[in-house]
This record gives sequence, structure tokens and C-alpha cells, in this order.
Amino acid sequence: MIEVQNLSKSYGDRQAIQSLNFTVKKGEVVGFLGPNGAGKSTTMKIITGYMAPSSGQVKVAGFDIFEDPIEVKRRIGYLPETPPVYQDMLVGEFLKFVADLKGVEKSRVKSLVDGALQKTGLENVRTRLIGNLSKGFKQRVGLAQALVSDPEILILDEPTVGLDPKQVAEMRQLIRQLKGQHTLILSTHILPEVQASCEKVIIINRGSIVAEDSLEGLSRRMSGGGQMVTLKVRRNQDAVARGLGAVKGVHKATNAGNFIELETDGKDETVEQVAAFAVQQSSGLMELKVQSIGLEDIFIKLTSNEAQA
Amino acid sequence: MRAICTLAGRDLKSLLKSPMFYVIAGLCTLLWSYSYMRNLLEFADQSRMYMQPGMEAGMNIQRGVFLQHISQINLLFIFVVPALTMRLIAEEKKMRTYDLLLTSPISATQIALGKFLAGWGAIGVLTLISFLYPLLTRLVADYSVGPLLSAYLGVVLVSGAYVAVGIFASSLTESIVLSVVMALIFNIMLWFISQGSGGISNPLLSAVMEYLSMGQHFLNFILGSIKLKSLTFFISLIALFVFLTQRVVESSRWR
Repeated sequence: MIEVQNLSKSYGDRQAIQSLNFTVKKGEVVGFLGPNGAGKSTTMKIITGYMAPSSGQVKVAGFDIFEDPIEVKRRIGYLPETPPVYQDMLVGEFLKFVADLKGVEKSRVKSLVDGALQKTGLENVRTRLIGNLSKGFKQRVGLAQALVSDPEILILDEPTVGLDPKQVAEMRQLIRQLKGQHTLILSTHILPEVQASCEKVIIINRGSIVAEDSLEGLSRRMSGGGQMVTLKVRRNQDAVARGLGAVKGVHKATNAGNFIELETDGKDETVEQVAAFAVQQSSGLMELKVQSIGLEDIFIKLTSNEAQA
Repeated sequence: MRAICTLAGRDLKSLLKSPMFYVIAGLCTLLWSYSYMRNLLEFADQSRMYMQPGMEAGMNIQRGVFLQHISQINLLFIFVVPALTMRLIAEEKKMRTYDLLLTSPISATQIALGKFLAGWGAIGVLTLISFLYPLLTRLVADYSVGPLLSAYLGVVLVSGAYVAVGIFASSLTESIVLSVVMALIFNIMLWFISQGSGGISNPLLSAVMEYLSMGQHFLNFILGSIKLKSLTFFISLIALFVFLTQRVVESSRWR
């Protein structure tokens, strides 16, 4: 659906992105991850045809972004960092304007506007002035604006920035609903967001891609297949820790004070045996937690490695 | 075509709904009402004095009243049009709604034309208000309408030129203040471009300067003669600035 080849962009002397290569297939939900200033927004702006690359090629649904910008733009719904809304328009009126602007067939305008209002939960504010809405609602109007032409591709640039926790949860819920209907690219520097919504992750740092994989693939790759298991027991913590060290599949067991930390080979049987052992010792098992290496760790590892190199 | 109408419609509506438009229209009306009334009464006084047999040939309402009205409209428009057009593109950039326009399936030409038509429409409403004065005079005085219509065609064209200049200035910057100042200076430059023509001895150069004189072309319309070269002058002036705007909008794609 989207093919990016050797994409570079520099602002004067500063290189924002350097020869990016990636593809996004139809129907995928891709998280675009990176610290501030990594080049996420720049890449998205180029894909939407808002700005031109310094070099490289972008193809959307087979159309080159430079040769056929109109065809590309017709297929993309874009929510920039700042929602592009007119303060002096009513919500419904604005969405109708956007639908007309995007060249939606006249007969479909009304149903699409209603659909976008309903999906984003804006039906109650339909006749209110956008300038009078709260930030969270403006953000939703921004999302409705991206949705209203029913585009094949949705590009959302930090959709949850500046929202309160409840609104963030609602926004994620909404993004999950959009899965399957659109190809989705989502940029963020907030990790749980990616874990909550995305199937594939592209991590970008200082203008280059440092990782591109599925969520599970990424954590498997980074942890070398291993797992961390933590246990909490009421009695005999020291003895249990020593005993667990001998269980098959456990590489290392340490008594970390409040809990016992195990490094295992990542197999389900190992976890089963660890649990069985703790119960056998009648040490009063309180808690057993299996942790695969989190996205956060991967992220920090990847982006800080890059910084040292 | 639909994209142009959508864009122009939105901007025109936004302009006509803004309090600023009402303030401007109100103040213009105040000024016109005062001076038009005064001119008309003075003209009536004078024509009564000249009413003796054999003297009526000297009086002409077109020159006596309308000419002043039209030049006052023009003077006001030099300042008012930049105020109406200043926000058209500069504010879109500032409020980031420009992102929406640039990522929509519309061309830079459609954006430039849409903006131009919106501005022209808004100033058209003001022109229409100013047209009421001579129109209502028809109730009390009999005059030939032809020259008046020609003069108003001139007003429509000259305001179109100001609008084109205004959106060009607006496209150059994010700052609304800068946009209005630039548009004002451009407008005044258009009037002063032919100032030096008197001192030029080269006949060719002097003819070129005369052709570039906006005042001369405008005067033709006011005096009731629609000349092809004057029509061409205004239409090319408008086209030039709309084209320049289109280039500036387009440039954001490769800059």
C-alpha cells in the first residue's frame, strides 16, 4: 500500500531523515515510534504530500507522490500534530466542508459526515462552534476530519498528545475500532500506545530506522528468547530462591529483597515447574509474574545504542 | 470547479460572518453617506443657480457627483481590501489549517482561485452597498445609466486587482500584520508606478509608462468608455497576481 524508498529530507544543513526504507501492507496497523525530533512528523508529512522529500521515492497505492499528488491525497486521511480545524465553523459544517474538499461524491457526503460524527462520538456537539470546544474535542474533530472521506489510509500524527487520561483511553478505543477498515500509520513517542494499538512497529531514531518488526518479533529478538519471572513468597524466601536455581530451565535465581527474580529460557514448562516448586515448599506463594522484555526496554536499548555509535 | 466553489464558499462565509466585516462596512457607509449627501446637495444648489436658459449644458451629475463618489470608494478600497484579504492565507498558515488544504486532493491553482473569489465576493458586497447611493439618486434625478455602469465595472475590476494583490501578500507570510502592510504598499505602488512618466523624453518609454498607469485606465471607465486595452490591463493584472499566489502555494510542495 505504501512503499518508501531511500527517503531523505534535510532542512538546510540539518538532516531530518536519511534514506528511510519501509513498506506498509494493506490493512496493517503500524506504529511509528521515536524520541522527539527523530523525524516521525517529517516522514508523515512527506507521505501525505504536504512537503517534498530532498531525495527518494514514495508510492501510495501505486501512485508516485510527486507525479500524482492528487490521486495520493484522495486516498489519505491525515491528522497532523495540531488538528487543522477552523475555529469559526460548526462541527457538522466543518466536516461537510472537508468532505466536499476531498471530492467525496455528493450523494455520500451526508452519510459519511454522520458516520464520522458517530465514530468519534461527536453527535452531541454537531451544532457547536469548534472554537468553543475543549482540546480533547478539537482533537476528535481533527480525527473525524481525517475519517470523513473514508480514506484507504489513515495517518495520525501523535493522536493522543495533550489529552487527559480518560480521553487517551477513548482515543485508543477509537483507533482499535478503526483497525481492519483502514491501513493505519500512527506516530507517537508514548510506548503503551503502540502496545495497545499496533501490530507492527517501526522505530526511528535520528532520522534512520533502527528496527522494523512485529511487536512479538521485536521482543523475542531483543530478549534472545528468554523471560524474566518474579515471585513473591511469604516464608523462607532465601531457601526458595536457592531451590529455584536448581529447577530445569532456570538460568539464574536471585533474592532481590522484596521478591525473587528468575531468568529462564522462556518455555512455558519452566514457568509451570517454578510454580509447582514454590507450592511444594509450602512457602506461601503470593504472586508469580512472567515478563517478556517490554517495548520500553527495547526502545531505550535501540535508541541509546544508536546515540553511542 | 467544485473544489474552488467549496473553498471560496467557506472563506466568503467566514469573511461575511466576521465582526470585522460589519465594522468595515459600517464605517464605509458612514463616510459615503456623509460625503455623498453633501456632494449631491451642493450639486443641486449649483444646478439651481445655472438653471437659467442656455446654461444647463455645463452641468453633469456623472462628473459632479458620481466621479467623487467613485474616487472615494477607490481610496477606501486601497485600505479596506488588504484588511479583508489579510487573513485569507496567512491565518490558514498560522492556525495550521493550511495543512488540511495542502493534503487535500486539490491543486495550488484551485486554492489560489478559491481564495481570490472569496475576497472578490466580499468586496463585491461592499461595492453593492456603495452602488445603492447613485441608484437611489435615480428616484430624484434623471440621468443616463450607461456611464454609471461603466464606472462600476471599473470599480469591480480595480477591487479585483486589489484582492489579487492582497492574497498574494497574504500567501507570502504567516504574519497577518505583515500581510496587510505588504498589500497596502503594493496597492499604493500600483498607483505610483506611472508617476515619473512626465519627465521621460523617450516617446516609447513614456507610452509604456502611460499604459501601466492604473489611474489612466480607471479614469476611462469612470468617464464611461470601456476600452479594450483598459479591460485587458485589469484582467492581466488580476491574472498576474493570482498566478504569483499559485506559485507561492505550489512552492510549499518542493521547498
